[in-house]
Amino acid sequence: MAEMKYNVPNEQWPEHPETATLEGKNKFVGFWTFLGGETVLFASLFATYLALKDSVPSSDHLLAADLFHLELAFVMTMLLLTSSLTSVYAVYHMRNNNFSKMQLWLAVTVLLGAGFLALEIYEFYEYVHLGHTFRSSAFGSAFYILIGTHGFHVIIGLIWITGLIIRNATRGLSVYTAAKVNTAALYWHFIDVVWVFIFTIVYLLGVI
Amino acid sequence: MAELEVKSMTETQLRNLRRQRTKEMRLQLTGFGLMIFLTFMAFGMVALDFDPTFIMGVVMLFAFIQVILQFYYFMHMKDQGHDFAKLFMIVGMFFAISFCVTFIYIVWIGSPI
Repeated sequence: MAEMKYNVPNEQWPEHPETATLEGKNKFVGFWTFLGGETVLFASLFATYLALKDSVPSSDHLLAADLFHLELAFVMTMLLLTSSLTSVYAVYHMRNNNFSKMQLWLAVTVLLGAGFLALEIYEFYEYVHLGHTFRSSAFGSAFYILIGTHGFHVIIGLIWITGLIIRNATRGLSVYTAAKVNTAALYWHFIDVVWVFIFTIVYLLGVI
Repeated sequence: MAELEVKSMTETQLRNLRRQRTKEMRLQLTGFGLMIFLTFMAFGMVALDFDPTFIMGVVMLFAFIQVILQFYYFMHMKDQGHDFAKLFMIVGMFFAISFCVTFIYIVWIGSPI
């Protein structure tokens, strides 16, 4: 096993630290395979939502156009899009062997992600008060399963990145930890990719 | 785990590498700016009540452009060594689009069998 040297000098830091070891390469290919599978998972939920949109049992149920607020969706989109950029910064500093800045940008990513999650919880809370619940209609079930699965991914991402920040705080940067940070960043970007389709298909096309 | 072979870099190599990365970061920032712009445009068009069929086409196009930017620049898919990543994503996308088109056709467009 290659010796894991932490905090090596800049000239010994590989050009692509995240794929410098066999483990790193495996993680990289394996994770992209997983993301391909995730695409299909979300596609099935999107298809279900598109099929069941506005399918409510009676006319007193609220429809997509009555429920969704563009302002909230816009703020959520900006938070998640910006958090995607901050994780790009984290990977940039990881490649430049700058541990403290990498930790800082990962922390900013977590904060923005937490803000997004808080808004999503507030949104669900509002809808439930308006009578749009998981059990109130087929539309409701499809909506909560789609947005909820995305929200669940955000929670996993937040726990993952927070775990990395804490675990690496005392040991620093090596080719081993670099691969971990890179994988978490890929996951976080993928969450944003899914959200792009959610805000377009569910919110924007929901209110027109 | 394979042995890690790291050739020590010279001062110039390191400087060049840093410069290259800064350049890439500038591209990523441009990509981010473009994504923000597309998001603004998409929300703006809906808020201003443009023609629904027009909006539908354009915001879907914007979504795909944003996702391509995200994959190519933020997730580094434009770099070398991403052939498998592309293969998996293309297969995933193929199924994704098939699912959505099929469901929309069966439920909203096609006549009952």
